[in-house]
Amino acid sequence: MLKYVLRNMWRRRARTLLTVFGIVVGIFALTVLGALSARLNQQVRGAETWFTSKISVVPSGSGLFGGSDRYLELSKVGEIEAVPGVKSAVAGFGLLLSDQSTGFGAPELIVGAELSKAQDLLNLIDLDRGRILREGDEGKVVLGSTLAEKFEADLGDTVELRGRDFEVVGVYAPTLSAPDGFAFVSYRDALDLFREVNPYFQVGDIAATIDVIPEEGVDAEELAARIGESVDGIKVISPAEAEKQISQFSLIFNAILLGIGFIALVVGGLSIINTMIMSVSERTREIGLKKAVGAETGSVLSEYLLESAMIGFFGGVIGVLAGLLAVYLLNNATSSSQVTVFSVTPTVAIGPVVFATFLGTAAGLFPALRAARLKPIEALRED
Amino acid sequence: MIVARGVTKVYRIGPTEIRAVDGLDLSIEAGEFLSIVGPSGSGKTTLLHLLGLLDAPTSGSVSVEGRETLGLSPRELTRLRREKIGFVFQEFNLLPVLNARENVELPLRYLKVPGPERHRRAMEALEMVGLSDRANNRPAQLSGGEQQRVAIARALVTNPTLVLADEPTGELDTQNTCRVIELMRNLNRETGQTFAIVTHDPMVAGYTRRVITLRDGKIASDSMGAEAELACDPEAPTI
Ligand SMILES: Nc1ncnc2c1ncn2[C@@H]1O[C@H](COP(=O)(O)OP(=O)(O)O)[C@@H](O)[C@H]1O
Ligand SMILES: [Mg+2]
Repeated sequence: MLKYVLRNMWRRRARTLLTVFGIVVGIFALTVLGALSARLNQQVRGAETWFTSKISVVPSGSGLFGGSDRYLELSKVGEIEAVPGVKSAVAGFGLLLSDQSTGFGAPELIVGAELSKAQDLLNLIDLDRGRILREGDEGKVVLGSTLAEKFEADLGDTVELRGRDFEVVGVYAPTLSAPDGFAFVSYRDALDLFREVNPYFQVGDIAATIDVIPEEGVDAEELAARIGESVDGIKVISPAEAEKQISQFSLIFNAILLGIGFIALVVGGLSIINTMIMSVSERTREIGLKKAVGAETGSVLSEYLLESAMIGFFGGVIGVLAGLLAVYLLNNATSSSQVTVFSVTPTVAIGPVVFATFLGTAAGLFPALRAARLKPIEALRED
Repeated sequence: MIVARGVTKVYRIGPTEIRAVDGLDLSIEAGEFLSIVGPSGSGKTTLLHLLGLLDAPTSGSVSVEGRETLGLSPRELTRLRREKIGFVFQEFNLLPVLNARENVELPLRYLKVPGPERHRRAMEALEMVGLSDRANNRPAQLSGGEQQRVAIARALVTNPTLVLADEPTGELDTQNTCRVIELMRNLNRETGQTFAIVTHDPMVAGYTRRVITLRDGKIASDSMGAEAELACDPEAPTI
């Protein structure tokens, strides 16, 4: 039957190819955006472990990813540590690695942390080689994986951050998320760099964030609420809230993806319906003939469903292949900036094909039913 | 073999009623070789469709091998039809995307006959109509006479007890008409299969044993045919 269906499709190759092409366009877009979304989701999921294993304290009016030019007094660290259940509160300070943004995903940051207390925090990410920072490591840096690649730096090498030399003592393993683009230094070094970069912006000892690690067995959500009540002038972001903020990120993107999928569904589906209706009416007499020689309703139905499913399937396969090629080329073109923009997961590669095949079958249902229900004599009389 | 009692088929086009077949009684015995003739519009095609269970009468009934077909579901009718009856239509008989062998295999496919047996039986049927060497040709590559012979092979491949042909030679020249009729008559003699052939060609009717003449949906006469011997010219080219 498949052979027969393919021959029937080939009879009207121009029309079949046009219909397939309509599916290809939609599936191509779906694949490329799917790869983009898969990459973003990876970043978000990676970021989750970093942001949701701790309680973040930021200046009131600020958010998880910054967004204000306000800073925290260093005295807040002591106040927070006084709250029962807090194991440690670590002052952190971040500044952009360069003023030119990479434009995609998380920015590259120099992240400073109070090394005397930051062991738990710095251990949240697995090391690839070397060691994490410890007290007294001024002038030393541990690089996120993407930055290490970008600087082509290994242990013992010297890298220049914002005009100052740092010795690389460790490199983190890839997390596929924001911390891959972080350069971890001591709080002191980060603050000094900030002062050098902004000479007219006189600041004392300040922190951009204070990361709180709860004591063993203490509920992080309750602790976050307690800190918020006991300390003024701060905003506490609990792990659950962090997760919410992060997932909002991917929600928007997934909504765009759904929108594209919907357009592909409508456009592709309508053109398949149109093509199949034309095929059925062209072949009315053939359908009558088949029924006259013994074809049952079900066999005519499945024949035409198979035909429309094949249109969807071919459109899906070609669209995905074209999409993967585009992703490959785009990834190569952007590889120099050390930012992987697209990720190909099994879902990205197989999902659109399954979707297109299903779409084809669904779109073919009405024309196929029409064909299957034709009465043999009426069909045979048709001119 | 097949008995029609008081069959009537009424077509309604707006307010007008056309009684294409009008209270007709007919009995065809197993092994007969008969023709149905009559002017255009006299109801020949409609009668053939009623006898072949492709269409249901407005009133009256048709029974096949003693089995009453009135009240059978479409699915049961399809089953009965594909097991007992073979059809040859006037034109547009073959599926253009299938080659001759695949066209002949089609009814066997619907009977769920396994592939190798289907293949073998289709080749046998093509052999019978003298076209085994054209098995892989598509209809477009065959002459009109060859196409009709392929259609006959398809009608015969299921070993039906009744073969109904609607103007099978309508589009053929004299020599090809002769060959097609000769083929059907030889099969009738060798296998005892029943043939009912609709035609408006007096020569074709002249070769049959019984000639039924229709006029306005009624049987105008039912007589013995001349059953003349065929003398086809084997040298004449096929078209
Ligand atoms: N589907 C139909 N709808 C309306 N009238 C029809 C239909 N089929 C046949 N008829 C009419 O019924 C009559 C008999 O037709 P038909 O059986 O085809 O005659 P024949 O085959 O002898 O030429 C004709 O008048 C024809 O116009
Ligand atoms: Mg007719």
